[in-house]
Amino acid sequence: MKPAPVVKLQEIQGQQRVLHALNRLMFGPRPSDVAAVQAMGLDKWFEQQLSPATISDSVLEAKLAEYPAMNLPLAELQRKFPGPQMIRAIVDGKAPMPTDPLMRAMVEDQKEFYKLQQKALAARTANAAEGMTPASDGEMGMGQPPAPVATAKVRTKAQQIADGMKALDAEAGPEKATEAAADPMAPVAGAGAPPRELGTKLTAMEPADRFRAIMALSPNELQRLRPAAGPALTAGFTPEQKEILIALPGSVRMIALEAMESRLMRDIYSERQLEAVMTDFWLNHFNVYVRKNQNEAYLLPSFERETIRPNALGNFETLLVATAKSPAMLEYLDNFRSVGPDSAQAARIKRAKEFAPNAKLLQQASAGLNENYGRELMELHTLGVNGGYSQADVTQVAKVFTGWGLDKPFQGTNYVFDERRHEPGTKTVLGKAIKENGEKEGLEVLHMLATSPATAHFISTKLAVRFVSDTPPAALVDRMAESFLKSNGDLKSVLRTMYHSPEFWSTEAYRAKVKTPEEFVISAVRASGATVNNPQSLVQSLDKLGMPLYGMQTPNGYSWTQDGWVSTGALVSRMNFALVLTSDRIPGVQVDWTRLLDEKPKVLPVSYSPGPTVDPVAAKEKRLEEILLGQAVSERTRATVIGQSTDTTVTEQAMTQFDLGNGGGKGQGRYIPRGLRPMNGPNGALEDAQAAVMAGLLLGSPEFQRR
Amino acid sequence: MNTMRQALVDTSDWGCDMGGRDLARRGLNGGPSRRAFLKGGALVLVGTSVIPSFLLRSVMAEATTAAANGKRLVVLFQRGAADGLNIVVPYQEKNYYSMRPSIAIKQQDVLDLNGFFGLHPSLASFKPLYDQGYLAIVHAAGSTDSSRSHFDAQDYMESGTPGIKSTQDGWLNRALLNGPAPDGPGGKPSAFRAVALGTQVPRTLQGKVPAIAVSNLADFSVGGKGPQTSSISNAFQAMYDESSDAVLHGTGQETFEAVKMLKAADPAKYTPAAGVTYPNGSFGNSLKQIAQLMKANLGVEAAFSDIGGWDTHQNQGAATGQLANRLTEFANGISAFWKDMGDESENITLVTMSEFGRTARQNGTGGTDHGHANVMFVLGGQVKGGKIYGKWPGLDNSQLNEGRDLAVTTDFRRVLGEAAYKTLGAKNLEAVFPGARVSPSEFLDFV
Repeated sequence: MKPAPVVKLQEIQGQQRVLHALNRLMFGPRPSDVAAVQAMGLDKWFEQQLSPATISDSVLEAKLAEYPAMNLPLAELQRKFPGPQMIRAIVDGKAPMPTDPLMRAMVEDQKEFYKLQQKALAARTANAAEGMTPASDGEMGMGQPPAPVATAKVRTKAQQIADGMKALDAEAGPEKATEAAADPMAPVAGAGAPPRELGTKLTAMEPADRFRAIMALSPNELQRLRPAAGPALTAGFTPEQKEILIALPGSVRMIALEAMESRLMRDIYSERQLEAVMTDFWLNHFNVYVRKNQNEAYLLPSFERETIRPNALGNFETLLVATAKSPAMLEYLDNFRSVGPDSAQAARIKRAKEFAPNAKLLQQASAGLNENYGRELMELHTLGVNGGYSQADVTQVAKVFTGWGLDKPFQGTNYVFDERRHEPGTKTVLGKAIKENGEKEGLEVLHMLATSPATAHFISTKLAVRFVSDTPPAALVDRMAESFLKSNGDLKSVLRTMYHSPEFWSTEAYRAKVKTPEEFVISAVRASGATVNNPQSLVQSLDKLGMPLYGMQTPNGYSWTQDGWVSTGALVSRMNFALVLTSDRIPGVQVDWTRLLDEKPKVLPVSYSPGPTVDPVAAKEKRLEEILLGQAVSERTRATVIGQSTDTTVTEQAMTQFDLGNGGGKGQGRYIPRGLRPMNGPNGALEDAQAAVMAGLLLGSPEFQRR
Repeated sequence: MNTMRQALVDTSDWGCDMGGRDLARRGLNGGPSRRAFLKGGALVLVGTSVIPSFLLRSVMAEATTAAANGKRLVVLFQRGAADGLNIVVPYQEKNYYSMRPSIAIKQQDVLDLNGFFGLHPSLASFKPLYDQGYLAIVHAAGSTDSSRSHFDAQDYMESGTPGIKSTQDGWLNRALLNGPAPDGPGGKPSAFRAVALGTQVPRTLQGKVPAIAVSNLADFSVGGKGPQTSSISNAFQAMYDESSDAVLHGTGQETFEAVKMLKAADPAKYTPAAGVTYPNGSFGNSLKQIAQLMKANLGVEAAFSDIGGWDTHQNQGAATGQLANRLTEFANGISAFWKDMGDESENITLVTMSEFGRTARQNGTGGTDHGHANVMFVLGGQVKGGKIYGKWPGLDNSQLNEGRDLAVTTDFRRVLGEAAYKTLGAKNLEAVFPGARVSPSEFLDFV
C-alpha cells in the first residue's frame, strides 16, 4: 500500500498551536497551562503525555483519597458493600447475616430503607391512583414528630457497633482507637430528639463517638437528620467512615456516585491529561450503562481502573480482550447468559426440564444463544457497521463466545470460561474456519478483529473525529489506519501519526469542534482554576446538560459530533451553568477571581490590546479572556461582556434556573444523599462580583463552546 | 371452541363496530360534544347531525392535511417493552391463562371492551375514553425486525427504519419535514414546533427540523425567571446573534426566540383545568408541560415524551403489583392530559408505542421476557375509537412467533404513518418511512 500523500495545508502557528493541542489533547487548559507547555516545548510535552507513568499526579491522588472504595478489588467491593441482591437474599434467609458488626448494621439499615421505600412507593401509587396530591407521609415527613424508637433494638445495635468500631479504628490509625472506648450507650440518648437538636448533639461529639451514634440511629431518624446535617456532622471522619454512612440507604448509589465523582476528579485534576482524555474516549467506545442492572455500578470502578485506563494508550488488541473479559461488559451486553444450543449445559437443562417441566429455576435458566455481544463487538467495537460482516457472522461469533461468563455474578464477580456452556464444533467467522478450541476460539476471533484493516480504519476515524474534526480528512484517517496496522494496534503510534500530521494543525481544524457537555463542564472548571472539593454537583450538572456519566443506555456511546449537542435547551443550560459556576454558587466547587486576576506572570498575553487608555474594566475583561480562553474573543462578545459588567445581580437569578438542589435530571444525581460530604459553599460572598459576571458571560459565549 | 374460532377467522377488524352507537357517543346526534365544532379550518360544522359520519370524516381528514390547522401529534414511548398481553388482555384465549398461571389478569378483573379483549383494571381511566369513541387500540402491532435488544428495537422504532442502523434522523422529524410548511409569523416555524420533554432531543425527533428538548419549562430561561428576559439573557443573545459561528449562531437564535416565547406565555402561572390532577412523577409532569405548551399556542406540532419501568422480568404482578402501578401512572397521566386539553383535544392525536412486547408465557420469576408484538393506543378528537384494530394472530402454541411471543400482524409504521399522514399532513410516506411501503390503502383507518 502506498502511503497517503501529505497535502500542503495552511497550518496554525505559534501560541495557537499550544492552545490547540491543549484544547484537543487535554480537557482544556488551566490558567497556567499554556505558559507551562510553551516553556517545556510542545513536542516534548506531547511525548511525556504519551507515557503517563512518568508524570507525577500527587494532587489528584490526594483528591482520590476521599474514595477508598474505588480502589477495592471487585470481590472486596461487593463483600464490603452488599448490594440489593445480597440484601434480599439475607432477608429471605438464603444468605447468612454478615458476622462483621459494621456490615450487620449496614445490612439492617438497608433492609429498613428498602421497606421505607416500598412504603413510600405504595403511598405514591395510591395517591396517583386516586388522582390526589400526596399527603405528607407520617414517617417520611420532615415536620413530623419523630417516631418512638425501639430502644431494645437500638441497644443491641449500638453494642454491635461498639464492637465493630475496634475494627474500623484499627484502619483509621492508633490515635483514633483510643476514642472508641467511650460508653457505647451515650450517643443513643439523643436519638429520639428532634432532628435539629439531634444534629447539634451529634456535632458536639468526638468523631469516633459521633460515628457510632449515627450508625446506631434508625433509618427513620437518619432520614430526618439528613437535611439538617451539615459538613460538621462528618468532620473528622475517615473517608472509609464517610463511605459507610453514604452507603447506609443503599450501597449501589454510593458506588455509582463515587464512580462518577472520581472519574470527574481525574478529568479535572490529573496531570496525565492525555491518559484521562483517552480513558474517556474508550469508556465511551466500550460504553457500559450504570443502570443496566443493580450490579452494573459495582463493575464500573474496576472497569475504569483495570480494563480501560491501563490500556488507554496501549495496544488495541489487549484493550479489546480486556473488555471482552470484563464483568462490566459481560453483564452489559448479556454474554454471561449466553449458552451454546448444543452445549453440555443446554443438554443438561433440556434433560432436567423433561423431568421437572415446571421447576422455576429451570424456566429461568438460559439455554440458548444471546447475540448481543457478538453483534456489538463487530458493529461498535471493531469493524464498524459497514465492516463487511453478516448476520450469519453475528451468530457464529456469538457461538464462539459462549462460555465467556462470570462466576457468582453478584458476589465476587469474576471472569471465567465455562466449557460446559461452550458451543461445540467449528465456527466460521468472516469466511475463516475457527476450529473447536474452547476459550481460545474467542481469542482467535478477537485477534482477527483487532488486526483487521476495517477495524484500523474504524478506530482511526473515530479518533480523528474526537481529536481533529467532525469530518476528518480521508488522507489523515488513512495515514492513522496505516500506522495502526503497521504497529499491530499500538495506540501511541496512531496518536503520534495524528499529532505529526498537517491536518491536525490545519486552520480548518482550529476551533472546529463543539464541546460536548462533558467537555464543556470540565473545561470550564479547569479554565476558572476552581477548587473542587466535592464534584457531586458537577455530576448533577452533567445530568442536566443531557450527558450523564455512565448514563448512555445504548452501546453506541455518546456522539463525538456537534449534532446531538447543539440544541436550544442545551444552550440555555450551558449559559446558566457558566453563570452559576463563575459566581461561586456550585456547592463543593470554589472559584476565586481575586486570586486568579492577581497571578499575573503565569498567563500569556493575548494578541488583543485594549488600547492606550487604560480602562480598569476593559483591562480586567482582557485578563479574563486570557485566563479563560487563551485568546481574543470577537468584538461583539467583548463589548457585551464589558457592557454587562455593571449588573452583578444576574448570577443570583441564574441559580434559580440551574437549580442543583433537587437533582432535576433523570440521572444519578437525584439519588444523592446530601450533607454527608463537606460541600464548602456556596459562599455567595464574592469579592469580585464584576469579574464573576464577566467570566460567566465568557464561559457562556459562543467562543467557549468550541475547542 | 371460541378461542379456535377467533384465532382462525381472519378479520381485519375484530373489534366491535360502533355504527350508530358511535355517533350517539360522540354527540353527533345532537348530544353535547366538542365534536360539533371544528375550529381553525374552513368548515364550521354546527348541527352536523344530518351529515353521515363517513362523509364528515373525509371532510375532516382533508381539513387536517390542509396545512397545519392546529393539529398536533403527541408520541409517547413506553421504554423497556411493556407487556401488551396484560395491558389489553385477550381474556377469551384459553392458552393465555395456561401460559400465565400466576400473572394472568382474571376474567372478573378485566374491564371488558368487546367480549374478547378487556383492559387491565389499572387502565380504568381509559375505559370512558374508549366508550366515548376517542380511544382506539391496535393490537399485535410491532416491528418487522426480530431483535429482542432494547437498544436496537428502540432505535429502530425511533428511526422508523427497522434493521437499518445508519439512519441519522427520526421518523417524527421526517414527518414534520414532509408535512405542509408551518405558517408561523413571517412564514417562520415556531421554535416549539417539535418539542421533547427531557434533557436531550430523542432519536424520534432528531433531524433537519429544529427540535427542542426541555425538561422543566420553569428552568427554560437564562439568568432568571419572571416575565421579562433578564439583562444577562439579552447580553448572551447579543453575543450569539452576531457570532460568525454559523452553528452556534443558528441555535442561539432559536434558543432566545424560544425563551422569549415562553416568557410571554408565563409558564410559572400555569394551572391545569379544573378538576384535573396529573399523577406525581416525571411522566405526569411531562404531560402537564406538553398541555401547557399547547394551550399557550406556541405552535407545537409534535410533542414527545417517554415513560420507563416496563421491563418486568421479575415479579410483575397481575391485577395489582409492579405492572399495575406503571399502568396506573401511564393511564392517569394520559387521561389527565386529555381532560386538561378540554376543547383543544379535538385537534390532538396521541399515539403510544413500546419497542416490543413480552413473552406469551411467564418466566420462572413471575415475570416475562423480551417478546415481539405489542399493543398501541391511539387517542384523539378525530380518532374512530371504541374499537380494536388489526388482525389477531391468536395465542395457540402454533400461532406464536418463534413458539414464544405474540406474532406481529401490523407493522408499527402503518399506525404511525396514518397518524403522521392525517394529523401532520405528511403525505410523502415513503420519505417518512423509507422502504416500508406504507400507503393510505394500507391504513387501518382509525382516524
